[in-house]
Amino acid sequence: MSTLTPLPPDLPPGDDLPPRRRPRRPSRRVLRMTSFMVIVLTLMGVLVARLWFLQVIGGGEYQERAEANRLRTVVTEAPRGAITDRTGAPLVTSREVLNLVADPQQLAGPKGTAVLRRLSVALGHPPGFLAAKVRKAQEARPFEPVVLEKETSPALQAYVQERGGQLPGIRLKAAYVRDYPQGALAAHALGYVGPIPAESADRYRERGYQGNETVGRAGIEAEYEQYLRGIAGREQLEVDARGEVVGRGILSQTPPRPGQALRLSIDLKTQKALEAALRAEVVGSGTSTGAAGVAIDPRTGAVLALASYPTFRPDLFQSGSPRDVQRTLNSPSRPLLDRAIAGEYPAASTYKVISAAAALESGFYTPGETIRSPGNVTLYKTRFQGFRNIDHGIIALPEALEVSSDTFFYELADRSYRRQGWPLQVWSRNFGLGRPTGLDLTEGESRGLVPDLAYKRRTCDRAVDPINCSWRPGDSINMSIGQGNVLVTPIQMAVAYAAIANGGTVVTPTLGRAVVDADGRVLRDLVGARASRPLGLSKDNLDLIRGGLERAANANGGTATPVFGGLPRPFRVAGKTGTAENPSGIDHAWWVGYAPADDPSIVVAILVERGGTGANTAAPVACATIGAYLGFGPNRCGTGAKAN
Amino acid sequence: MATFPGQVEGGSARTRAQSALAGIDWWLLGAALGVSAFGIYIVRVATEGDIPSDPGYFFTRQVAYVLIGLVALFFAMRLDLEWLSRYVWTLYAVLLAAVGIVLVLGSTARGSTSWIELGPLRLQPSELGKVVMAFVIAVVLVERIKSMEPARLSLMVAGLTAIPAGMVFLQPDLGTALVYAAIALAMLWVAGQPITHFIVVAVVVGTVAVSVLYLLPAVGVNVLQPYQIDRLTAFVNSGSDRSETGYQLEQSKVAIGSGGAFGKGPEGATQTINDFLPEHHTDFVFAVVAETFGFLGAGLLIALYFLIIWRAMVIMRRAPTELERLMAAGITAMLAFQVFVNIGMNVGIMPITGIPLPFMSYGGSHTLTNLVAIGILLRIGRRGAEQGARVA
Repeated sequence: MSTLTPLPPDLPPGDDLPPRRRPRRPSRRVLRMTSFMVIVLTLMGVLVARLWFLQVIGGGEYQERAEANRLRTVVTEAPRGAITDRTGAPLVTSREVLNLVADPQQLAGPKGTAVLRRLSVALGHPPGFLAAKVRKAQEARPFEPVVLEKETSPALQAYVQERGGQLPGIRLKAAYVRDYPQGALAAHALGYVGPIPAESADRYRERGYQGNETVGRAGIEAEYEQYLRGIAGREQLEVDARGEVVGRGILSQTPPRPGQALRLSIDLKTQKALEAALRAEVVGSGTSTGAAGVAIDPRTGAVLALASYPTFRPDLFQSGSPRDVQRTLNSPSRPLLDRAIAGEYPAASTYKVISAAAALESGFYTPGETIRSPGNVTLYKTRFQGFRNIDHGIIALPEALEVSSDTFFYELADRSYRRQGWPLQVWSRNFGLGRPTGLDLTEGESRGLVPDLAYKRRTCDRAVDPINCSWRPGDSINMSIGQGNVLVTPIQMAVAYAAIANGGTVVTPTLGRAVVDADGRVLRDLVGARASRPLGLSKDNLDLIRGGLERAANANGGTATPVFGGLPRPFRVAGKTGTAENPSGIDHAWWVGYAPADDPSIVVAILVERGGTGANTAAPVACATIGAYLGFGPNRCGTGAKAN
Repeated sequence: MATFPGQVEGGSARTRAQSALAGIDWWLLGAALGVSAFGIYIVRVATEGDIPSDPGYFFTRQVAYVLIGLVALFFAMRLDLEWLSRYVWTLYAVLLAAVGIVLVLGSTARGSTSWIELGPLRLQPSELGKVVMAFVIAVVLVERIKSMEPARLSLMVAGLTAIPAGMVFLQPDLGTALVYAAIALAMLWVAGQPITHFIVVAVVVGTVAVSVLYLLPAVGVNVLQPYQIDRLTAFVNSGSDRSETGYQLEQSKVAIGSGGAFGKGPEGATQTINDFLPEHHTDFVFAVVAETFGFLGAGLLIALYFLIIWRAMVIMRRAPTELERLMAAGITAMLAFQVFVNIGMNVGIMPITGIPLPFMSYGGSHTLTNLVAIGILLRIGRRGAEQGARVA
């Protein structure tokens, strides 16, 4: 074999060009070997570059992913604290359920997809249903367990337990849901729970929440979230690719911490009576679109009942179908609106106590003075009508409150207009109108409106009606009977009347009473820190107004005497009706007052939208509510008949 | 046995030992032994938890494979290629027969098999076949490069390679078949075949690849199994891929990336010891190194491969005969291709083809083959050095 003879390494046999003629040019053989070497070495360089990219530049991200592979956090849910009424009767409790959850780390890869497909079919979904659900949840919150089905049925639980081994990455997990032993009672006050809304996810994360937690979304549930929240226990385990615990096992452990119970000042029987009466009134009237009521203890501001109608199921956001939620949200009757604290209405005649206080304290009405109060008056070339044009003759303040004379207060308003210092505005604010009362439902309260010059200037149309940009006599006159632009919420009126009832202290209404432990021991008092301030009304003036309110409910000419007049002395009621002009239809009905008249322990404010006169619709609701609290039956209340 | 041209006859035991060691490329031998030893260590760490009843199962076997491989290396160093070229067609026939038997056995067993069972040993003929193939091509090229028209010669080499490679592909073992092709191409290149041949090959390979992977499946013709296509294309669309292959690739990247600059150590390499990394003692052994010892360790390993391939290329340049030069080129191509494709697959820049990492991956046949290849290189290197000395 001649070709195998040894050759000097640099003098190849197969070269086309003899090296003697072109000695400087490398041979093809050398070129080929050199290029071969360059290719091989370049490829090695590519590997090192890629390795640098993965390990040194991308190392952090991959370390996180390796940790997510290795670490499994076992979460033990903690129940949310219960909410009770003042006596400890449960209003909201937590109930344990079993959810079907998936651990996405264990369901990566085709085996996991197969498991999810099998489970989808078993649950009666299309085959890709659960896989899509897991993928979607993964995008939002990577590495967290995904709830496939909430509150599993016993049949499904049995199915999963029997097939434990064939469903890796799938398990039943204890969780808690809210239970409402009283149904929809006090739904607006209690509020509801739900998942963390996407738009505030960051805020919750900063406060130590996991993305999939259930939180208080409205009402007391939201207000006292910090106490009610149960903090889930976490156990960090090291697992292998099959999900089995390996190595050091438990790496860290924090036990679950159940939420603390909350005792409200709500009185269950009063709340029930109020809601039943409101509902009956709205349903019975045929015209009313809604109603609201507040009952507070005037001495402390403790809210005894707080109701709004129409109402909603508080478990709607927890277990209702998306369609039901949508229907409730879009309902024209606005069931989610808490009319007791967020509904703004003209105060109407219930405002007359504030007019009276302003006149007395500003000195343009002296006690005992009588004023002629005809059916209507003409002031500033404008005719102002009294309610139904009734002529009440020459009367003093108590009678004016008793019969609810409008023209009496027009006269006071005229005097007020001519004086400097805005007495109606000052006293409206003294009574707490025009700003939230400070009730511990901070998210939900409306401010109402105390109109003044600034308001007029802000809202008038200079081009069309420049004169309306000033404060005019008619503004004071309308304001004096709670019309015009005065807007109040039922809770504001309750606080205002509480100041009259308790002898001159403006209290801050409170729903939360105490945070208590499992045995009912008080951990934190929620009432003590609440502010109150003096109204600044002298005792004589206060007594004069109280006398008028007592007459309005009991004297012969009293507007609400048909309802309250028959009550025995210990249950004697004082209060004022109101019929608010409603430009868009039937008048809104008001009644605000307190009982017992000489030592009040309950203030009630009732508003019935489009209810007609206060005496006919609002006063009977108030009577039933007071009766439930003081202990007399609704049959002791009369029915409204008389006007205003 | 034939004469051993590089061997000094007679002399004392001491001089014989001295002469046996003289001219050995210690860098090459040292690097190969170093990687093999490191491979044994990594197989041990990676597989300790795999078989609870026998934590040393893979470790003891790999030690045995390396020891057997070293014996084979010693014999390969004494193998006269010129003498062996007389039996080249016999060797080729044995290669075809062995690969053919495996193919038939595999198809009757209705699965994929690449073994021949010889008592307790299971031999993978396609592995040793790589070296045999390189030798056959080298002999054919040397014999005919002067007498045969270049195009016909290239076609002949292509045909000779395609027969065993095709059978290996049908086993199915795409990776090994690709190694055969890489060896043949590199040898044709180094032999100086016209550049147009390689352009033709590039066009053909490109067309076939696109057709087989994308065009033909689109019209319903499946040359490859769907899982094979999956494996070949997973690295292109990693991340979104939820197939088994995509998962493996992701886990490999997580293992490597999480190793960072300095690694997590054998105790902390959780991707490996907690089994998230698949095939951690075979195809993905590089990821184990990268996770355990980080960029430092993985880079050092690549440096050792660099050393091996560098020395192989130096030996190729200094080869005393054309036959040995081409043989060295074939072996260099075999080692370099396997190293690049395997590590490339681990780091996610090459398709998953099931090519083991030389000297590192667990397995007898390829360990034996690679050590035999080193033995052949060492002999060529020693002869080159002696030749150089004699010329000087």
